[in-house]
Amino acid sequence: MNIELKGIRFNYGKITALDGVDIQLAEGACGLLGPNGAGKSTLLRVLLGFLRPDRGQGRVLGYDIRQEQFLIRRSVGYMPEGDCLIPGMDAVTFTAYFGELSGMPRQEAMKRAHDVLFYVGLGESRYRLLETYSAGMKQRLKLAQAIVHDPKLLFLDEPTSNLDPQGRNEILELIKDISSKKDIQVLISSHILTDIEYTCSYVVILNKGKVAAQGAISALKEIQYSLYELKAKGETDRLVRKLEEEGCRVEETEDQLLKVYMPANLDRKEIFRLADQEQVQIRYFIKSQTSLEDLFAQTVGVD
Amino acid sequence: MPISEKGYAHWQGTFIDRKLAWWPITRLAVRLAFKKKGFKFAFFGSLIPAFFYLAGIYISERLEDFQFMMRGSNRFLEVNPAYFRTYFTGDFLLFMMVIIMVIGGAGLIADDLKYNALQLYFARPLHKKDYFLGKVFTIFFFLMFLTLVPGLIFIIMKLIFAGSLKFLATYPWLPFSVVLYSLVLTLFFSFYTLLVSSLSKNRRYVSILLILIYIFSDVFFGIFYGIFHNPYFALISVKGNLQQVGAALFKVKAPFDVPWLYSFLILLAICILSGFVLKKKARGVEVIK
Repeated sequence: MNIELKGIRFNYGKITALDGVDIQLAEGACGLLGPNGAGKSTLLRVLLGFLRPDRGQGRVLGYDIRQEQFLIRRSVGYMPEGDCLIPGMDAVTFTAYFGELSGMPRQEAMKRAHDVLFYVGLGESRYRLLETYSAGMKQRLKLAQAIVHDPKLLFLDEPTSNLDPQGRNEILELIKDISSKKDIQVLISSHILTDIEYTCSYVVILNKGKVAAQGAISALKEIQYSLYELKAKGETDRLVRKLEEEGCRVEETEDQLLKVYMPANLDRKEIFRLADQEQVQIRYFIKSQTSLEDLFAQTVGVD
Repeated sequence: MPISEKGYAHWQGTFIDRKLAWWPITRLAVRLAFKKKGFKFAFFGSLIPAFFYLAGIYISERLEDFQFMMRGSNRFLEVNPAYFRTYFTGDFLLFMMVIIMVIGGAGLIADDLKYNALQLYFARPLHKKDYFLGKVFTIFFFLMFLTLVPGLIFIIMKLIFAGSLKFLATYPWLPFSVVLYSLVLTLFFSFYTLLVSSLSKNRRYVSILLILIYIFSDVFFGIFYGIFHNPYFALISVKGNLQQVGAALFKVKAPFDVPWLYSFLILLAICILSGFVLKKKARGVEVIK
């Protein structure tokens, strides 16, 4: 396992940020999802060894998160969310510098900086001053400094924020390329669910400091719930109430379409039984394709 | 999609454990400082007094040859501890040190705060102390060039020009005074600069603050001394305190009638305060926002 956390608990004073987090991640790309305040950033801090958990055990790439933070930071790459640069530098010097700080010999860091800058598509502009870079270029630069020391594990914090659609696609392609072909595990923290769905096969959803769901995205969508869309005639409010009492989550769209998130333990026949009971006619019924957005909404309980 | 002009390849090398983990930080900061507009001019301009003092040492050993120039000013060319004190605590040199700090040191932490570089540093196997040492040694590098290096060269050249060790026999403690006072100046200015640099994200504010504190502390001393005629007001002057300690270390009469230890304690207090603020600042850093 590349990341293994057991019962991690962390408090900021009286506020519990992480509460008994258990995570096991092997290889590939994993999305870290959760609403604001769910504990995503705290989890990244714990994984990088900046914060010492109050309780629980954890290992990243086999290194103890309490004792071997330095070894962890040497073996992982981190791409922060906001713009990060050092003014007055060009991309080669910048990337090589952080390679050197990671423990690479100076000359090798410089050689490697050239390679990764070509890889992320900054080859032609690697001698330009960083202040003159566009938002997309800065994002690629952050990725370059994160992979310059060839990490085994890559933490990406909102990698596509502030990017135009084309820049976003290019970064996503890079991430997908890195995670699928380069033996580097990627952990992506993002609010953009489509990005996670595009790049990751595995997801961890945090809510209120706890793991609300984790697993392969395809399996989770099947296991957690089924989504049905239906149109009904009659007292739909009572039907909705009954469905909710049975543990379903029901959303009504503007065109009176009811989206019913049904738990795995319920049969769809239950919808018809309740409709019959409430004397509501079902005029349209379809099992809908579920997206990560639906899974997220269902798991976290937000729209 | 042609995102990669060149394919990714794994790095086959091995990591090294640097004993001086701060060294890349210092090296880069020194390099970047020399790229700044006006820095080379200020830095090499600050060495001008050193050349004059060196010439003075040469002339002091060849007074007969330069008699036509002296016209009774021989006493100024007497190379003794006071000569060294005058160099080290001269207004020009101290002011130029501040200017060098303004151009080359103001952004050391302020820029990292402004451009969120701290999270990149601390995501590396780097201690906070290594980060700060990297910044401190940047200032050390510049100031030692203006203090320790000329000071030791003065002594060596004096011995060479004199052709004897008499000077060293008379003042055997002088090399230690040079080293010690260079350290006092450098340490103080390092902590002072980093303290002010960590207080703002804006390099310009930091620059202005560095100069204002230095100049106005001396201006206020002048005003209060003029009104109350109390030499203890020298303790509020950064320059005054540095000169007091300098006089004590070179064993010459202090410019103000105040125990030098008070000045030393004030400088020390500023350094301790600075260390405390820096530690707190680093602790407060939101490495991941």
